[in-house]
Amino acid sequence: MPTFTINGKEVKTEAGKTILQAAVANGVRIPHFCYHPHLSIDGCCRMCLVEVEKIPKLTIACNTPVTEGMVVRTNTEKVLKARKGVMEFQLINHPLDCPICDQAGECKLQQYTFEHGITHSRFREEKRPGRKRFKIGPRVVFDEERCILCRRCVRFCREVSKTGELAVFSRGDKSIINTYPGISLDNKYSLNTVDICPVGALTNADFRFQVRVWFLEETKAVCPGCSNNCSIRICHRRGKVYRLLPRKNMDVNKVWMCDNGRITHKQIETSNRLTVPLVKKGNKLEEVSWNEAFDTIAKGIQKIKNNEIGAIGSPHATNEECYLFNKLIKNVFNIKNDIECIVPSWEADDLLIKKEKAANPQGAREFGVKTNDTSSVKKIIKGNLKALYIIGNDIIDNSNTKQDVLQTLSKLDFLVVQDTHNSDLSSIANVVLPSATFAEKEGTFTNINGFVQKTNRAVPCPAKAKPDLEILSGVAKAMGRPFETIEPDKVMDEISKNVKSFKNICYEKLGETGIKINN
Amino acid sequence: MELYLTKNFKTRGSKTLKVYLKNGGYKASKKALKKMKPEEVTEEIKKSGLRGRGGAGFPTGLKWTFMPKGNEKPKYIGCNCDESEPGTFKDRQIIENEPHQLIEGLIIGSYAMGIKACYIYIRGEYTMQAEILQKAVDEAYKENYLGKNIFDSGFNCDIYVHRGAGAYICGEETGLMESVEGKKGQPRKKPPFPAGYGLWGNPTTINNVETFCHVPHIINNGADWFKKIGTEKSAGNTIFGISGHIKKPGTYELPMGYNLKDLIFKIAGGIRNDNKLKAVIPGGSSTKVLPAGMVDVKMDHDSLMQAGSSLGTGAVIVMDNTSCMVRVGIVLSHFYRHESCGQCTNCREGTSWIHQILLGIENGRGKKEDIDLLLDVAGNMEANTICALSDAAAWPIQGLIKHFRGEFEDHIKSGKCTCPESFEI
Ligand SMILES: Cc1cc2nc3c(=O)[nH]c(=O)nc-3n(C[C@H](O)[C@H](O)[C@H](O)COP(=O)(O)O)c2cc1C
Ligand code: SF4
Ligand code: SF4
Ligand code: SF4
Ligand code: FES
Repeated sequence: MPTFTINGKEVKTEAGKTILQAAVANGVRIPHFCYHPHLSIDGCCRMCLVEVEKIPKLTIACNTPVTEGMVVRTNTEKVLKARKGVMEFQLINHPLDCPICDQAGECKLQQYTFEHGITHSRFREEKRPGRKRFKIGPRVVFDEERCILCRRCVRFCREVSKTGELAVFSRGDKSIINTYPGISLDNKYSLNTVDICPVGALTNADFRFQVRVWFLEETKAVCPGCSNNCSIRICHRRGKVYRLLPRKNMDVNKVWMCDNGRITHKQIETSNRLTVPLVKKGNKLEEVSWNEAFDTIAKGIQKIKNNEIGAIGSPHATNEECYLFNKLIKNVFNIKNDIECIVPSWEADDLLIKKEKAANPQGAREFGVKTNDTSSVKKIIKGNLKALYIIGNDIIDNSNTKQDVLQTLSKLDFLVVQDTHNSDLSSIANVVLPSATFAEKEGTFTNINGFVQKTNRAVPCPAKAKPDLEILSGVAKAMGRPFETIEPDKVMDEISKNVKSFKNICYEKLGETGIKINN
Repeated sequence: MELYLTKNFKTRGSKTLKVYLKNGGYKASKKALKKMKPEEVTEEIKKSGLRGRGGAGFPTGLKWTFMPKGNEKPKYIGCNCDESEPGTFKDRQIIENEPHQLIEGLIIGSYAMGIKACYIYIRGEYTMQAEILQKAVDEAYKENYLGKNIFDSGFNCDIYVHRGAGAYICGEETGLMESVEGKKGQPRKKPPFPAGYGLWGNPTTINNVETFCHVPHIINNGADWFKKIGTEKSAGNTIFGISGHIKKPGTYELPMGYNLKDLIFKIAGGIRNDNKLKAVIPGGSSTKVLPAGMVDVKMDHDSLMQAGSSLGTGAVIVMDNTSCMVRVGIVLSHFYRHESCGQCTNCREGTSWIHQILLGIENGRGKKEDIDLLLDVAGNMEANTICALSDAAAWPIQGLIKHFRGEFEDHIKSGKCTCPESFEI
């Protein structure tokens, strides 16, 4: 652990750290554009110049390793002058129209300009023109005039997504960011370039100009897109979700997330949400009160023999929901059959995306739920069943078997569907229970590697829809066997008492990035 | 004044192996390989005081000692024949007239540092020269001066001629390495340094063509002989190139420290049309201009540094009184704007800004604050970038304003060129 001095303060730092990293670790800010902690070091922007004793020239903090006894100054006159010089160079060809730039409010260039008190330009020449609103990829829009050529996006595509679509073309003041001829910035992780672009050059085609970023509230959550459970921030305003951003979690997703994960919030607001409880009367589903829905279930279930009742859980449910569903089925309904669930899948890769396309199949398994892929749907709907309680609609996810499944299920005496969206499944149910999407509820997910993370409620449920825990509790109560608690943290306490692998889990210990279960 | 680098240039067939051998060629390499230990060779070069002829004047022997001992990784030499600094054309003379001199220097250098292969990076525009060089390399392979087990010493040496595609920045040593690797010619940040992490991540030493050409002579005649030539801190001869408004432009081999005024008036015949001398760029386009009154100066690293300029590549550009210094600035700054690789903010933006300010002055849009603005911009470009191109672009502007500020002021005041016979832009 070398000891070095920064701005007169003697501090220790891990061996092999650069001045910039050591400074950050010790609370000293060094302005920088091209450096990004999760990309290789570039050294091109020259913003991070600092003074190091015994080195005659200023040196870049991002690429200079700390050595024992080094004396670094980050705020001398010489440093400030150099930094101001770099700022001036960055700005001469940059549009000075922050008010109409979508990055305003989260732009490094804007922030540093403000901090360095640069108020007027000595540049009297014409600014370099560039492509505006250029669709550099299907999800990313490029404003060349705002690009400061920090090459973060280039490095991301080479080093992280490993797709290498981007490069700097030409040289000198003609340098431009572009994709190689004939291809576009279209990879599964392309929107991360928007996050790391320090200015308003790369923007999210879906999000740009929807809302000013300083109006957005952020809620820490977990991406429901696949069993990797990337840590995310839900950015929302007045009950509407505008975008999802990755949140740092070194064990799970570092600082990235996939493009598909970013659109998982689209499900929240679609027009075919289930918003009120429904009960089939005659041939029609009619809106009822929650109590009526719960009572209908209690009556319906009590009419049928235990061994003729089946339950299909959801790989999207939280740990707490899985646990209480289990409890409802096993203890309240007294059913001995296994709870099954269907897990949709897609192609995994070796960065983040996992094969199981649901947030919590791992959690479900921890609670004894049997997880099946979509090809085994028929196997799990056993012939003798007369009633079925289904959470979600993954059972009709496979288009090859969908019609068969619907036909079989329509012959049941009693079908309960608890789901977020209208579907061909909910339309044949006897009782439909409108539930919450990931952004509307609180709980924990267990990712494929056993990391349990907390996800929080960002927006309210639409109309009368309820978080699943409340729904399950309502059913239990109607059956005369109410649960002791449905507060997520308390449910977790109960889980940790009863489920061995969760012995070490409690909400206080989870922190922002979660901990691993014992297995 | 004893010639050794260019002594045989006028001999018929001097570029052939046969003539090179007749003139005593490949004796030095044989001596080094058979009679000296590698460390002894490096030591001899160190003792000789040889400094790099590529522009920065770094002590060659010392540079060689930076290479790691042992052979854990293959080690390489990059021989810099990019020769793109405006005004510079000495390496070309060597290649055209006596390429085996370079090959021999490379063999000795390879032996001293335990090199696996040498890459001669030759600028794209040197088409004919690349052919001559390749022919010489082929000849040397054929006669086993290159290849396996040279002089039965057990030492192997390979040379590849690698042609550039025409970019000044590929003469910067790490830009050169990127280019040899087939990448875009952009200098690398340092650290890591080439001696640890060079070509393909392996230890590499880069030297200029002329630098290697001194090596056989030092081995033949000894470090002491070399040290006696030139000045105390700038030893040996060098090949000065002189161009511009001069009667006898060309290359001249002279000892380091030779008087610039004598070079212009005695050796190169004086100013064209016997015009009045106005200014001299002493060491290639990046070095600061000297006004006529300052040309009585010795052409060595220290003397030119004292005069506020530098020796650079020893490429003297002579300008007579018809030359408009604003336009000189435009020509120079256009070059650097065009050649900046563009990765560093300061260089990418600064080179183009300076050029545009000067064009503004030329076209009557100048303001009197522009002169200080130019100095400020140049100042912000200096010493803060990945490679020295940014400095190289700043220095000439600083030099021009320092010595010819009045001319810039006149140009701005009158809104046009005040130098009636000047060349056009
Ligand atoms: C922009 C730039 C261009 C350069 N071009 C050349 C060149 O064409 N030839 C050369 O020998 N050195 C050139 N150099 C210097 C090299 O980086 C390097 O210092 C030199 O080749 C080392 O050789 P030496 O030690 O034998 O002088 C250039 C440097 C810079 C910054
Ligand atoms: S587009 Fe953004 S990330 Fe990419 S080089 Fe330009 S400023 Fe940097
Ligand atoms: S990898 Fe999975 S968890 Fe991560 S963002 Fe994509 S879909 Fe969401
Ligand atoms: S100083 Fe100029 S030429 Fe050198 S690396 Fe930086 S941008 Fe490229
Ligand atoms: S952050 Fe160090 S050079 Fe860009």
